[in-house]
Amino acid sequence: MKRYTSLNFTALACAALLATTSLSQAAVTVLGWPGGPEETALRAASEAYNAKSDTAEDDKVELIFFNRDGFFDKLQADLAAGTDAFDLNLLATYSIGRYAPFMKPIELSDNAQDVYGDAVLSTMQFDGKQYGVPTDLSMHFMYYRKDLIDALLADEAAKSRYGEISEKYLGEALMPKNPDDWSWKDYAATALYFTKAINPDSPTRYGTVLQMKNLLFNIMVFHSLPRSNGGDWLDAEGNVVVDSDAYRDALKMYKLLADNGATPKDSLSYEYAEANAAFGAGQVAAMMQWNAAAGDLTNAETTPVIAGKVGTVAPPTGPEGRFTHIHGLGLGLNKNARNEDGARRFAKWLSTPEAVTVYARNGGAPGLTEKIVATVAEERPDLVPLGDYASNYGFVMNGGTSAKALSVYELQAKEFTGYWAGQQSLDEALTKTKSGMEELLK
Amino acid sequence: MLAANKYENPILLAPMVLFLLAFLGFPAVVDIIYSFSEITFETLRAPKLSGIGNYQKVLADPEFWQAAGFSLKFGLVTAALECLLGLFLAVFLSPLFEKRTWLLAVIMMPMMVAPAMVGLMYRLVLHEFVGPLPYYFYIWFGDSPSFLGSDNIFTTLVIIETLQWTPFAFLLCYVAYRGIPAELREAASVDGAKALRMLWYIELPLMLPTIAIAFFIRFIDGFRVFDNIFVLAGSGPGGSTTSMSIFIYLAFFKLGKIGTAVAASMLLFVAVLCLLVVVSRLSQRRASA
Repeated sequence: MKRYTSLNFTALACAALLATTSLSQAAVTVLGWPGGPEETALRAASEAYNAKSDTAEDDKVELIFFNRDGFFDKLQADLAAGTDAFDLNLLATYSIGRYAPFMKPIELSDNAQDVYGDAVLSTMQFDGKQYGVPTDLSMHFMYYRKDLIDALLADEAAKSRYGEISEKYLGEALMPKNPDDWSWKDYAATALYFTKAINPDSPTRYGTVLQMKNLLFNIMVFHSLPRSNGGDWLDAEGNVVVDSDAYRDALKMYKLLADNGATPKDSLSYEYAEANAAFGAGQVAAMMQWNAAAGDLTNAETTPVIAGKVGTVAPPTGPEGRFTHIHGLGLGLNKNARNEDGARRFAKWLSTPEAVTVYARNGGAPGLTEKIVATVAEERPDLVPLGDYASNYGFVMNGGTSAKALSVYELQAKEFTGYWAGQQSLDEALTKTKSGMEELLK
Repeated sequence: MLAANKYENPILLAPMVLFLLAFLGFPAVVDIIYSFSEITFETLRAPKLSGIGNYQKVLADPEFWQAAGFSLKFGLVTAALECLLGLFLAVFLSPLFEKRTWLLAVIMMPMMVAPAMVGLMYRLVLHEFVGPLPYYFYIWFGDSPSFLGSDNIFTTLVIIETLQWTPFAFLLCYVAYRGIPAELREAASVDGAKALRMLWYIELPLMLPTIAIAFFIRFIDGFRVFDNIFVLAGSGPGGSTTSMSIFIYLAFFKLGKIGTAVAASMLLFVAVLCLLVVVSRLSQRRASA
């Protein structure tokens, strides 16, 4: 009897194992971006897809996640090892070229262009092919203290002081303006004016907070400035053109602000969280920051000191126009997908108006066209400028989706921070960046 | 019975040997092959042998030498500070620890924290707007130094590392100090030796081998530092806080230079191995003297 029980147990265990294996092979397994609103939104979208009457049992979506820390390094190792543990996986604009050898292009729904627009679709393209369905869009807003700017605009004596400071530090007497009309010089003048070390009457300790840590994401934040000066990575012929006046002036502006104490002393170790903490403490007048910070910085519970006092606009204008770096997160198809057909069907559905509205209503941040965003504007007013800014000001550097794009960002982060820290001259930094980029992008 | 004894040791050792071969031996062999190959993420399974090119590239790379210089300086300074502080605590607080042994557990606590968590903790502690340290600096002095600015970052990192790992050096020194036979101290005392002379001529020479071992262990740990520095400062402005381990990580994952990274890791391995052999020889020579 005991022997039979043991055999039965073994048989049951084997059957269960086989059932689990066949189930996991049948389902569409998606590796998503863990934690935060992206995970919540993807869960809601996959549940909606699974609940659809025309979704076959074999096409049901299962989600898997691993930690955010080193996510892209781990993903690269998995893909390079030929994993088939997931069918669709997370993609980011700056890493598409790196992952493209391990992925297959996909087809989106027929109305994808009406849903996203060209600028957003291009964040998931490489070599002219669509490698991913866009899910979330990241860009930069300029966050500023409305109360401080309003007070400045209403005070003649303050305006005069503002003009004196801008003339002394920038060589030009400027007058305060509405933030939506700022040039980068106006931004710099405001940052200097609201710095206590320069203007003892300033209500804030610093005029701005620059994220200057040697980190690739910080270079993305910086990029909107050289781009508005006409800067790019490569020209039309594919030559590296980073050693340009556009980059030179932009790098000098950051250094001028840092050297004159307009940004916190430890800015060379600052990234997203540190900058938010500085702004949230009420000691900074304006800053460039990712759109993802809007929720926290306008929430009275998380940042009570500045609650109700924060305005957001697109980054300032330069001689060549107004720009904001954009990059997208999305889902792409693993070359070794076990359920390729099912994965393709889910990706296609994700780019339909039905799916993006579910995704948006559940916390995601897709970049949507005016027509589509209008359907969710009531619940998600923050998505309205996202689509607007993306289509009007969004840019991706020429070469920004190449196989070595991440390495280029890393290289620029290293060399530019070396200049800002005073460890090398501007010429040295740009020469090294140019030669390093030529090596990487050859 | 004899036959049983003959096979007993190999059988008992087999699981450990198999484990080491699978989890250390195999990756080590793969690393050695990669270090002599042209290799990318696309060709991980089909590396193309290319001789000593990767080693030549690494040895000609100024960033490698900058990282080696940082690691060497960091390892030497932190190991020296930790040993000095550990020795000081072991000798001068020994009477206290004898009476209150539970204090040993308290002093060991920093070692229990994961280095990455220590880096994260100090990101908060040193932040100008949320950290307690700058807060009190502003209250007391009206200003706060730039703890993580390019001028002070090395000092800050050394202090953080020293605070976390001094307990390790202390523990070894304390055990060595307590292990000195009481009759030696009594004899020296009868001969009129005061505390300082006794420390210099009796206790320190007896503790020296332990201090040397503590120094070398801490030096090796400091030389290959990664977690706390990477979490706190990354590779630093202009790569100024890039240790050897950070150099290898960046080359491998961020720049995709797998051959360079693996060759650098092989060089690091050989350097550490040589150091361990020297330490081991010195210990043996001293033991046999």
